[in-house]
This record gives sequence, structure tokens and C-alpha cells, in this order.
Amino acid sequence: MSSAQERVAPKNAQSVAKLLARCDRNGHKVRVAGGGTFAGMGYPPERVDVTLSTAQLTGVTANERADLVVAVRAGMPVRDVTTLLAAQGQFIPFDAPNPQYGTIGGTLAAGWLGPRRHAYGRVRDYLLGSTIVLADGTIARAGGMVVKNVAGYDMTRLYVGSFGTLGVLVQANFKSIPMPQRARLFLAPLPERTRERACGQLAALRIAPAAAFWIDGFDNTIDGDEGPEGRVLALLEGSEALVERATLELRSALGRAGVPETRIVDAGAREAFERVVDGYIACLGERSVTYRLFPAGQESLRSAIGAQELARRVELRAEAIVDVMNADVVLRISDFDPHSFGAKIEGFDEELHRAEPHAQVIAGAHSRRGSLQVWGTEPPAIEQMRALKERFDLNRTLNPGCFVGRI
Amino acid sequence: MVRERLVEALGNDAVKTAPEDLAVYAFDAYTESGLPSAVVLPNSTRDVGAIVKIARDCGEPIVARGAGTGLCGGAVPTEGGIIVSFARMNRLLELDERNRRAHVQSGVINLDLSRHAAAGGLFYAPDPSSQRISTIGGNIATNAGGAHCLSYGTTVNHVLALEVVDASGDVFTTSIDDAGYDLTAALVGSEGTLGMVTSAWVRLLSIPESVRVSVAAFDDIDAASEAVSAIIGAGILPTALEMMDGVITQAVEAAFHAGYPTQAAAVLLIENAGFEEDVAASEAAIHSIVMEHGARSWRTARTQAERDILWAGRKGAAGATGRIAPNYYTQDVCVPRSRLPDALRAVDSASRANGITVGNVFHAGDGNLHPLLMYDKRDRKQVAAVVETGNAILQSAIDLGGTISGEHGIGWEKREAMTRVYSTADLATMARVRDVFDPARMLNPEKIFPRGLRCPEVTP
Repeated sequence: MSSAQERVAPKNAQSVAKLLARCDRNGHKVRVAGGGTFAGMGYPPERVDVTLSTAQLTGVTANERADLVVAVRAGMPVRDVTTLLAAQGQFIPFDAPNPQYGTIGGTLAAGWLGPRRHAYGRVRDYLLGSTIVLADGTIARAGGMVVKNVAGYDMTRLYVGSFGTLGVLVQANFKSIPMPQRARLFLAPLPERTRERACGQLAALRIAPAAAFWIDGFDNTIDGDEGPEGRVLALLEGSEALVERATLELRSALGRAGVPETRIVDAGAREAFERVVDGYIACLGERSVTYRLFPAGQESLRSAIGAQELARRVELRAEAIVDVMNADVVLRISDFDPHSFGAKIEGFDEELHRAEPHAQVIAGAHSRRGSLQVWGTEPPAIEQMRALKERFDLNRTLNPGCFVGRI
Repeated sequence: MVRERLVEALGNDAVKTAPEDLAVYAFDAYTESGLPSAVVLPNSTRDVGAIVKIARDCGEPIVARGAGTGLCGGAVPTEGGIIVSFARMNRLLELDERNRRAHVQSGVINLDLSRHAAAGGLFYAPDPSSQRISTIGGNIATNAGGAHCLSYGTTVNHVLALEVVDASGDVFTTSIDDAGYDLTAALVGSEGTLGMVTSAWVRLLSIPESVRVSVAAFDDIDAASEAVSAIIGAGILPTALEMMDGVITQAVEAAFHAGYPTQAAAVLLIENAGFEEDVAASEAAIHSIVMEHGARSWRTARTQAERDILWAGRKGAAGATGRIAPNYYTQDVCVPRSRLPDALRAVDSASRANGITVGNVFHAGDGNLHPLLMYDKRDRKQVAAVVETGNAILQSAIDLGGTISGEHGIGWEKREAMTRVYSTADLATMARVRDVFDPARMLNPEKIFPRGLRCPEVTP
């Protein structure tokens, strides 16, 4: 019945359930698709018979403004949710790239980790409840609409980052927090001799910036002073008074590190920050792959420089965004054409994982992507994970082969 | 047989089977109790693994136990079996100040961790009222909250990685930084039904530069709860926002002399912590909302000693009710924060209808109610009335869009009530996780899931 071209966009949980139950029965494989912003993550599916789009699963189910609680359907673009919340003086730190396309469901399924998580916590910690449809068509709710809830297992957090392999998320309930009053952006070129000290100073600030990056490359993607040796970009958020005090501290810290010139942006500070996040997944056609490195401890700058050196050895270009506050690294590897890129990337991938076992691929359209270690080294509890997949999706109907260990 | 094998594996000193020893482990704060057939006190993860293997061989269920401060029978055996007490696994394995985290064995006492971390300017945020005795392992099992989770979140937000002994006695580790499913999140709050946590990496936070604690008094409990809803509704999240009614403040004052006004119908205990500028602004905004809602007094503690005694009174409130009645039962429900006034009215009418004295002391900012129902255990009629009242409060929370446990767990007590908030499909989905980790149901059986939950068979 279904062909590889079949694309369905169910309008509600019941239709999702019907569709999945049918596919599960008939042995058809289902790819779950949101806004496509994380299409560069994970292994390509082993087989696709039906693409289930969440595009029609939109709308706000509940918006309890006075409770700081909101429930939305999974296909809703992240931007729509943040705009709605902003109008109420509230926010949730999704920090998802291209939020005009990226959906709530996709952001959760990908387990997306935004740069402001060190300040506000992970998105999973804003979740109060969810509705999911399992491969056999079971519709299951978990949690609820209250801010504290320990009735049963925390199924909702288990679904976060499960990459659509346990079920299709159809609704998510969140708590929000008050929107910080002010945002201010700092930009400065970062000469190589100041790099390490500047990053160290930023990470140690008493009033921690909401986000801080050392950026090398991404020239046409991210604005700011494009020093030849990279630039620093820091976002301060908080009350008026706090941002003023943080400004003085930040200035003197960067001054101590020898950073020559700092530029302050007030209007459009958050937008500029969002463009950095967009940069995380910005591809250069079929001639780039972007990794995210999670080095142990606070060695992010050293990891980034080490990885750039590995790339240079095989004549690949390596641009980096170092998230100073969370100590992770975005590394975009590219070459001048897809052919030469394809010839080198597998070798590089192996070298990279020797140094950075947890490196994951987060973006890239090259056909060789499937042969890279896109999830990094297998986690120690991989057997438990396989068993969980089997118990939730015995027939491997959902996103087969896409996840960790080809789950 | 079990005893011999346990003694052989762990030594005589680690195994208790004398009736007087077992009796100590038969209770928590729940009205029901149950005797284990043995209590074992392991020293290491390896010991825990050995216990599980022996229990499996002998067909004995296993109940993990921290300090036994639970409210719902979670760490109490329902039908014998081996209790694994983590009391001796209380070592702080590593304090990593630079990366703000600590590696602790499960039996480490909550407050001890913060005490050790304080030298480096750090603290462990989850602070259940039992924190002087309850363990990190027990806190993880229930996903414990506390007064400060309004701003810091519950235990799950602070657990980074776990070492777990599974139902076969084998060890595995999980980390929130691992690729793959977030097994850490699934294990936190699973009440010892998926595995036994033997050690955990937890996140530490920097001690805030400024802390202010204020007490606002009201003549009317309705006005106090409306003030709470108004504070949250105005988008202000203090670090803690606690409420105590007149019954509780009088008991607390008699026990602690903490400085709470005893003539008030309700008081709010408000803490703002963070940077000086924000703390002052938040406090000023809350002060004006509270006064608009008819508070008759407002007092800010001036010294650390004053703050400490106010908090000691708050955290010791349940114990202080011993002056009112020999026993108390604590209900734990959570409602949407804007429904707090309705929820408190429901508590009042339920206890009135059953002739039970109630004291309210709770995490108002989270909508997490803790009505304390006062009674005398020796009087069967009073016990029945308390059960009836607790049940009515549970139902009213559900009717208001809330849940049956905010921070203490389901355990033994509330397992049947799970069907009131979840469908069979919802529960069967949770049970799939249980199937993976404990297919034989030997880890804390007869907990969380209602009796007779029928799970759909897996059809290939």
C-alpha cells in the first residue's frame, strides 16, 4: 500500500495512533519528521516506507499564564512558542537553531542542548508532562500540568533525546520562567595570545554571562568583529541593575586578559545570540559536517584547537564555536568540494573520535555521513537501551537504525 | 539459608535477622508497616551486587532503604524480603570544586554533602525537610524536592550520573552526558523498582552572595494563599515561598521560639537569594504584593542566626506537632499554583467533615500542599477518619488539575490512586520500563503500580 513517497501529516494523536498501528502491523518503517532542522543528526534510517510529519500537530493546548505553565502540540515551531511566551513576559531556554522551522517535538527528540543551559537549566527540566504515541498505537500520557510531580516514572524526560525511536511525541507541557529584563551583547576580536586567559576569565566570572563563545570562522553566518584569530561574544542577561554590574566585571575581566577592544550591543542582542545558535547547524552544501564535542572537564578550548589541528593535517577546514560556559565545542569541518571532502572525512572522523570519544555529528548533508560515528562512542548502558527500544518498539517501526548503536 | 549465604558473603556484622533488629526497619511515616526477613548493610557496590545475586537465588524480594524518612511506605517491605540499608555506604568519594560536582555513595546524608561543599563556596540544592537524616540515595529514589526547589528544581535536575546495581546483581552506569536514552532521568524517582543506586555524581551550586528571609503574617489563610498566587502570577519566582497556618506556627513557636507571629492565621516564609541587586528588587516587589493582599505584618531577618532559626522552625514543623497530637499523617499533593486558595479550602472542609485537626505547612510557591492530619494511632476511629480525610484531599487535588504526589512518591500508600490520574495505557507504558529493568519484579515489588495492572501482551 504505502510507497517510499508516502508522507502523512496527521492532525491529532488519534490519527497518529491509527497510522502507527497500521504501519507496525504491516512491517512498514516510519520516519518521524518535524521541521527538518536536525535532519543532519543521527544515522540515516535503514528504510523508510512512510514519513510521518508533525506539521499538522500544532496549536497551544493550554496556556495558564498565572501558573507559568504552557502545553503545546509537538509540531509547533519553537519560535511560535517563544513568541507567545515573550508576549507574556515569560520564557523557556530552548535555544534551538532556526526556531522558525524547528519544532518543539524535534527539539525535544533531538535532546537539544542550548548554550544558556548552564544559566537556566536544560529544556528537559522545564517539562512537566507529555503525550506520546507508541509504535503499536498506544497513546500514553505522562506527568501533568503541575510544577512538582513524582507520580510514577519520569517518562517525559526519558522521551527527551530518544530521537523518535520510542514513540512519537504529540504534546509537551512546560513550565516557564520570567523573561530576564535586559539583554546585552559583548563583542571583541580575540588575538591568539589572549585566547586562553579570556576564556578562563569568562568562565570564572562571578555574575556568569547567559552565554559566552569563542568563535573562529563562520564568517558569513554569525555577525561580529571578524578578527583573523577569532572573536569573543558574550550575552549578559538579567535585571537592569545586574546587567550594569556584570558589564563592569566583564569589561575588566576581558581587559585583564589583554583583549583590546570591546563593543557593546544592546538593541538586537538576543537576535545576535540566536544567529550564533543558528550557526551550530549551518551547512556548506554537501561539503561540510558539523560535530559537537563534549570534552571532559573544562578543556573545551584545548579540545577545539586540537581538533582544528587534526583537520589541518588532512587539509580540511575546521571552524569552531567554543561554548565557554558549558565547555562544549561546535566544529564545522569542510572542504572546497564534496568529492575531496568525501575522500577525507572518514579518516578524520576516526582521528577525531580517538581524541574526543563523545563527539557527535549535528549537521551535514554529505552522503558519507552514515559511515561516521555520528553518536560518538557507544554509552556504557547500551544493552539496557537496546532492551528499552525492543520493549517499546519491538518491530523497529520508528526511525529504524537512526539512533545510538543503530537502534 | 538466606541468612547463611548473606553472612558468608558480607560477614556477620552486616546481616541482621533478630526480631528486635528487623522491627526497626518495618516502618516509615506511613500508617502501614511490614517486617523484612533480613536486613543487610553493605559497605560497597560489590556487596550490593552480591546481595542481589543471593536474593535472586533464594527468591527473596529486595527493598532498598536510605534513612527511612519516607511518607508512603516506599522503603517498607510489603511481604518480607531483604532490606538493603545504605547506612554504611556513606562516603563522600570526590568533591570536584572546579567542575562543581560531587561523587557520593548513596548513604551520604543530604546535609552532610552541603556541609562539606561549603568550604569551597558550594552547596547541594535539593533540601527536603528531612535533610539532616535523609540520604542522597533515598532522595534520588523519590526525586525529592524541598523548600528551595521553587528556584532550583527537584533532585532530578541535580543528578549528573549514577552507578546502579541491576536486578541481576550486575553494575551499570548512566550519565546525562552519555549519548542515547536518558536512563538517569528514568532511574531518578523510580523508588528502587528499577535498580539500586549505589553512588551518584551530583551537581553543586555556588552559595549565593546575598540571602534575605522575610516573614509575612496574615489574619486570613485565604488572603495568604491568594498572595502566593499573585506573586507567581506577577512572574516573580523567589528562591523559596513557604506557608504555615496558625496551627503550625503555634506548635513551631512552642518548640523553636523562632520568632514567627503566633496570633496569625497564616504566615509566609519568603527567601530571596542571589545577587544583591536582584534580591533587593524581588523582595520589594513581593513585599508590596503581600501588603496589597492584606498582610498585617512583615519582618525581614537581620542576621544569619535569625534566618537559620526561621528555617529550623519551618523544617522542624512536622515534628513540632507532637505537642498537638501523638501522631500525624502528612498528605503530599500538588495543584496548579493559581488554584492554591481552592486547594486549601478543600483541605479545610475535608478535615472539618471528618473531625480531624489539620495543620498546613507547605511549599506554597510550587503549589505543593502538605496538610498534617493530627490523630492518635491508638484510636481506630481517628485512624479511619484520617485515612478518609487524606483520601478526600487527594481527590480534591486531582479535581483541581493537580497530582497525587509532589515530592514524596507513590510507594505502597498511593499505588491504587495511580489509576485516578493515569489511564491503564499510561501505566502499562510505565510498566514497559519496569519490564526491561526488573522483569521478575523482585526490586521493591508491590510499589508504585496498582495491584492487578494488566499490561497488554507484546505481539510480534
